[in-house]
Amino acid sequence: MAEIDDTEVSIRSERLQNVIQALSYASVDEFESCIILLEKNEGEDEFKELETAFAIFVQELSEAKKEVARALTRAEASNRELEAKLETIEMQQAAIRELSTPIIEVWAGVLCLPVVGVVDSQRSAEMTETLLETIVAKQARTAIVDITGIDVMDTKTADHFIKMARAVRLLGAECIVSGINPGIAQTLTHIGVDLTGVRTMRSLRDALQFHLKETEQLAATHHGRKDHL
Amino acid sequence: MDEARVRPRVRVFPVEHRNDSVLIAPQARRLARQFGLSARRAAEVAIVVSELASNIAKHGVRGDLTIILDDDPPPRGTLTVLARDIGPPIKDLATAMTDGCDDTGPIDPALLLHRGGLGTGLGAVLRLSDRFDYQELPEGKEITARFFR
Repeated sequence: MAEIDDTEVSIRSERLQNVIQALSYASVDEFESCIILLEKNEGEDEFKELETAFAIFVQELSEAKKEVARALTRAEASNRELEAKLETIEMQQAAIRELSTPIIEVWAGVLCLPVVGVVDSQRSAEMTETLLETIVAKQARTAIVDITGIDVMDTKTADHFIKMARAVRLLGAECIVSGINPGIAQTLTHIGVDLTGVRTMRSLRDALQFHLKETEQLAATHHGRKDHL
Repeated sequence: MDEARVRPRVRVFPVEHRNDSVLIAPQARRLARQFGLSARRAAEVAIVVSELASNIAKHGVRGDLTIILDDDPPPRGTLTVLARDIGPPIKDLATAMTDGCDDTGPIDPALLLHRGGLGTGLGAVLRLSDRFDYQELPEGKEITARFFR
């Protein structure tokens, strides 16, 4: 049977007040002040044991709270980093869209659309929209669509592609498709597509030279007429 | 005859955004070339991958696109494109695969461009691949396109 120690311990009221004060410091996170108060009294009585235990407890609580604050700061920083990365991804996605359909105005009124990579049905639809809008916006007279970089197109995508070229004509501009390879040529003939009004050239270079020559001839005729007057 | 069996190589690409196909398709083409397919065939794989990935982002909410390179049985082997998403099943597959249609019927041409496509994606997958399979899953659907080497 355990022995119950029923000796009484008496302490000065002041000392008790001290501990209560220390407790209230701890409750508002003022741990240093609390510990100072607890360690104030020298001496080795039993009450001192309580004060010491309390002080150790408060010290550990203080450490724990500091660690939590640090972890929170780290988490917030991590969060901000992730948000920044998400923003970057969104911008990159937008850039990818733009870069996959670059339309270059090589000189006044002449647009060039070099097509590279994979042309699926979605890209074909987007290209059409962008090209036609740009022709109107830039008041272009000629659009050169170069597909040297394209190995293969699905028949329906190819069909739409030629429709795009004919749509350019409707806007009053000329459309030259350059760089058709044998595989795509076969695809186009197999679907029996109507190439009326669509000029084709072997390469982008040929297309540009052709256009230059046409423009020169046009200028010469105009010039000639002027001299006549 | 005990041949050393090479396990199929698998690459999984998660698909969530509309433009993910732009990044995945060229990688698929490279894998197809490494697998020994011709340049033209590899380009066709890229188109199929592009169409399927676009569909996942457009209609399937979110999913992934897996490329499986299987040498078995040699010397042929199969390149499998697996498009899995968590979106709604295709109500009418036959109609959905008809060019110019989605799974409910013909698409109004005026809305075609607005939808970001021609309604010919699944048709292209069927035309370009050697074998096409569709399967409804408990939480979505799965389309398989196979290319024989």
